[in-house]
Amino acid sequence: MFGRYKPLWGKTPRLKSSYDAVIIGGGLHGLATAYFLARDHGITDVAVLEKRYIGFGGAGRNTAIVRANQRTQENVPFYKEALELWPMLTKELDYNLMFFNCGNLNLMHSEAAMNAARMSIATAQFHGIESHLIDAKQCKELVPALNISEDITYPIFGAMYHPPGGIVRHDAVVWGLAKGASKHGVHIHQQTAVTGIGVENSKIVSVDTDHGKINTPRVLLSAGGYSAAISYEMLGVTLPISVLTIQAMVTQPLKPILNHVVSSGTYHAYAQQTLKGEIATGAHMDPWPNYTTQTTAYYIKHQAEALAEMLPCLRGVKFMRHWAGLADMTPDMAPIMDGNDPIEGYYMDCGWGYFGFKSCAATGKYLAQFMASGNCPDMLKPFNLRRFEQHRLMGETAALMDYSPDN
Amino acid sequence: MALTITCPICDKRNGYEFRYGGVDKGPRPDEEGLTPTSWCDHVHMNKCVAGIQKEWWFHRDGCGAWFTIYRDTTTNLEVDKPEAN
Repeated sequence: MFGRYKPLWGKTPRLKSSYDAVIIGGGLHGLATAYFLARDHGITDVAVLEKRYIGFGGAGRNTAIVRANQRTQENVPFYKEALELWPMLTKELDYNLMFFNCGNLNLMHSEAAMNAARMSIATAQFHGIESHLIDAKQCKELVPALNISEDITYPIFGAMYHPPGGIVRHDAVVWGLAKGASKHGVHIHQQTAVTGIGVENSKIVSVDTDHGKINTPRVLLSAGGYSAAISYEMLGVTLPISVLTIQAMVTQPLKPILNHVVSSGTYHAYAQQTLKGEIATGAHMDPWPNYTTQTTAYYIKHQAEALAEMLPCLRGVKFMRHWAGLADMTPDMAPIMDGNDPIEGYYMDCGWGYFGFKSCAATGKYLAQFMASGNCPDMLKPFNLRRFEQHRLMGETAALMDYSPDN
Repeated sequence: MALTITCPICDKRNGYEFRYGGVDKGPRPDEEGLTPTSWCDHVHMNKCVAGIQKEWWFHRDGCGAWFTIYRDTTTNLEVDKPEAN
């Protein structure tokens, strides 16, 4: 334990004075982009700069759920591709990401919600994604632990059942991508904080770190919840983002009782049983922006109340751990992926809210394509930053989870 | 997240009685000479300050007042008005 050890992804290289591309943030999006840059585009001279350790932020704090049942035609194909990349990455990285496609059950608690689900399902089916509307009895058949009686606060009318979704072990994805990227020659620098970004004639020229200056023509900002603050402090570019703390918790491990991800927008709760047996469940965001990542008894109580009604067999089960992370929310609940505007060589990947984990593989693939060629792939075009001033916000707020930037 | 907010009418109260009303971005811009970019700046863009910011709050479950306070977003504590402002 106290001996010398070297990380799974090899020895830490020395920080060079120049790189072809610098990625700010050693989370899943940064590592995935580095991996695809090296694998598909031959750009192996890449530095991933991480202030703390890789996977410190959202990458290690999310609840590991993956799905492609979003609302709009721009978002759905993107998440579909992300979902399809898990088995491929598991094989290619030679690392077990523990993808378990158990399916997602999104509960509906009113006729209006059933109608909204019909629309989402039509969108999914149009894009070739399996998604069905099922009634309360079918929900009970899929998840026998579910309470479909009428005497709860929000009785269950039915659900949107999305079989290809599921869970992936998030830490394994961090380590697997780090290993894969390093193998292709990418440098991962932990404990390296970015202190400034150098711009000359509207072009990126360098990145300043607490370990020295790096000359580079390309920078990707993928620092998760910290992106908006970095963007404003270092480049003066404001983004349409609010940063909120979001909490999650796990119960003590139980024998298998939940073989699907169960979520409810009305109860503001979702639950899945991890492969260790714990029920991982997620809760509200703080209703005001902050960077604290602190947890509160207020939401433990909320979560206990919601789970005790939806899954009454969990009454009396103890919560074991409770943590929080940051969600960077945009007004239309869709991310911002843009580049070369207004600064050439500057790429941004932020505003993911609570979708960062499920999207990381597809984001890495397309952003790498964008950074290598300088041309925005069609898949990413709708996610540009200018949509806000053009008043072309996406309709993701109509998705079935009712979160918003101001919650 | 624990937060105590000082309402100008009701004094110190539990933060959950209030609704957050956004960071203070100053008055609504004049319509004359307004461009989509400057309107977007006012409506959507945030500095996402990791530190002290001036922000609006609404005493939803109380007197109904709208007012501003200063809060440190890294500690979630209300602070006195900074000297510089």
